[in-house]
Amino acid sequence: MKVTESFRISWRAITGHKLRSGLTTLGIIIGVGSVIVFMVLGGAFEQNIAQEIEEGNDEPGMWVHTQQADSGFGDSPFVRAKFFTDSDVAALESIDTVEFVAPSARFPVAQLTHDGHQRTGGFAVEATTPERLEGDVVEGDTFAAEDEIVLTEEATDLVEGGLSVGDEVEISFDGAGSETFTVVGIVEPTSTGGNSLVPTAGYVSLSNYETTIETPDGNQERAYRELIVAAESSEVLDQAQQDTLKYLRSDSDAAQLKEDEHVLKAQTVDDAIDQVGDIVDQLTVFIGGIAGISLVVGSIGIANIMIVSVTERTRDIGVMKAVGARKRDVIQLFLVESVILGAIGALLGVLVGLGFGYLGVSVIGWPMVLPTDWILIAVFIGVTVGVLSGLYPAWRGAKVDPIEALRHE
Amino acid sequence: MTSTGSVVESVEAGNATVSLGNVRRTYYLGEPVHALDGVSLDLPDGSFTAVMGPSGSGKSTLMNMVGCLDTPDEGTVHVEGRNVTALSGSERAQLRGTELGFIFQQFNLMPRLTAAENVTLPLVFNDAVDVDRRERAETLLSRVGLGDRLDHAPPELSGGQRQRVAIARALVNEPSLVLADEPTGNLDTGTGAEIMDLFAELHAASRTILMVTHERHIAEHAERIVHLVDGQIQEIEQLDSGAHTGGSQ
Repeated sequence: MKVTESFRISWRAITGHKLRSGLTTLGIIIGVGSVIVFMVLGGAFEQNIAQEIEEGNDEPGMWVHTQQADSGFGDSPFVRAKFFTDSDVAALESIDTVEFVAPSARFPVAQLTHDGHQRTGGFAVEATTPERLEGDVVEGDTFAAEDEIVLTEEATDLVEGGLSVGDEVEISFDGAGSETFTVVGIVEPTSTGGNSLVPTAGYVSLSNYETTIETPDGNQERAYRELIVAAESSEVLDQAQQDTLKYLRSDSDAAQLKEDEHVLKAQTVDDAIDQVGDIVDQLTVFIGGIAGISLVVGSIGIANIMIVSVTERTRDIGVMKAVGARKRDVIQLFLVESVILGAIGALLGVLVGLGFGYLGVSVIGWPMVLPTDWILIAVFIGVTVGVLSGLYPAWRGAKVDPIEALRHE
Repeated sequence: MTSTGSVVESVEAGNATVSLGNVRRTYYLGEPVHALDGVSLDLPDGSFTAVMGPSGSGKSTLMNMVGCLDTPDEGTVHVEGRNVTALSGSERAQLRGTELGFIFQQFNLMPRLTAAENVTLPLVFNDAVDVDRRERAETLLSRVGLGDRLDHAPPELSGGQRQRVAIARALVNEPSLVLADEPTGNLDTGTGAEIMDLFAELHAASRTILMVTHERHIAEHAERIVHLVDGQIQEIEQLDSGAHTGGSQ
């Protein structure tokens, strides 16, 4: 029996029961659809983060920090202790491919006051080197003195009336005193490292930073949790990364100060995007997998309706066998029928999923990403579900005894 | 009327479409029931044989044996010279598809296929046959008087029309043998007579026919009537029906 023949006959059986076939495919539509929705949302979320990270990092560089050693599951947490000393900064700066090294220390802000207007917490001020801000300055200049601050563009409307160059702001830090700074410049968003959950409102000189540590040599030096290392150019970024890592892992103070389970990292923007991508991917697949459970339910639906169908058509099977249908012909007929149900369900599911996914990302404002892989996987799963859920009913149909079947009322 | 022995004499060797040799079939329904208890019967080419008998006499089992739907516990069944007992399930299916045509009391048409599609259904399972199915269906349906009903589904046809479609289906593969199980059982007398006229035409065209019926006047359309009782041939009655000139030589 030709496959095209079975398609014709099976299609007739499917369209003969429109409501029943529709409800059966609905199970698969919902299953595949929900998987696709989550894949669209996950892809869009990832793309969105990647874009944001890239926007703030137009200069080639890397982010040096410490992480817990890989625990073997997912991503390892960041270490908050400060291991990178002034000697490390100086040593890294002497590397040929490195343009400058900017230590970065973040102070959570309790309150910011300007001209009687106040803004409470939720952001941080970062102490760093002025070089890091060069190129990002959109107004005024970078800081030169201890009491000068450069604000990010977002921070200019932190308080009523806004902030501009020349304004004086009073900042009280969490667990520390308060200081008065003069706004000397405005910068566009710049690299803030990967572990900052609170946004950076401004940058001040490192002279405001006093945390010290005893180095292996026995001196007291300032120590930092993270460093921004800028490469001379994007061409030498890879080399700079290798040189940086080589130094960090051999001669650096940090290598001796850190504990055994800590790992020193130098991540480029691409590394960071990859890392975020990995996390989002894992999350997406996890949620998609949960959504995939509805596919199992859908396939049980197909199997159920196919068994009903076989029972209903026992007599037809008897007739077909009497006029020359072999077991394999009967199996083929019912398998094709369940595959059609599965495949149609999967295709419609993809369309529904893309539709709702698009709606979702449009509302949130993320970029739409077409999950091509998952569309193919979904269609493949739809066909597989059709085959699997059709196997048993088809086998039942094939072993129908034509003598009994023809007597069947 | 003649005895069983005279049948054997009347059969010319090697000229039988179907040949049953001492066939036994026993069902175990609590106690053994001998549905067929040593039946030997030849259906010569072009013969028209009716089988009569009370219910439980083994008519249906005989029909299933000849129709290659069942195999004997003992004895042999040959269809077109092939030993059915030795064939696998799918080989028997193919034999049914190429050598046999079935006509049932319940018509047994596929409800979702059109008349034309029902007629050519046996060809669907026979990849070897490559003909214009539409044309074939049209020819056969015209022959049974339904040339204008090709695209009607069975529910849109009357009982007599459905049985005509079934007859057309039974002929689509140019079978060696046509099997009819109570072909007029679900029809009124007038329609039944029309169907029997079609059988007469088939017989005139030298088709080999085996028909099971419990109605004497229907059975009388055949050349001979095999009377079955308790799974055994009680008697084979020869009818000298002058109308059936195209019978066995």
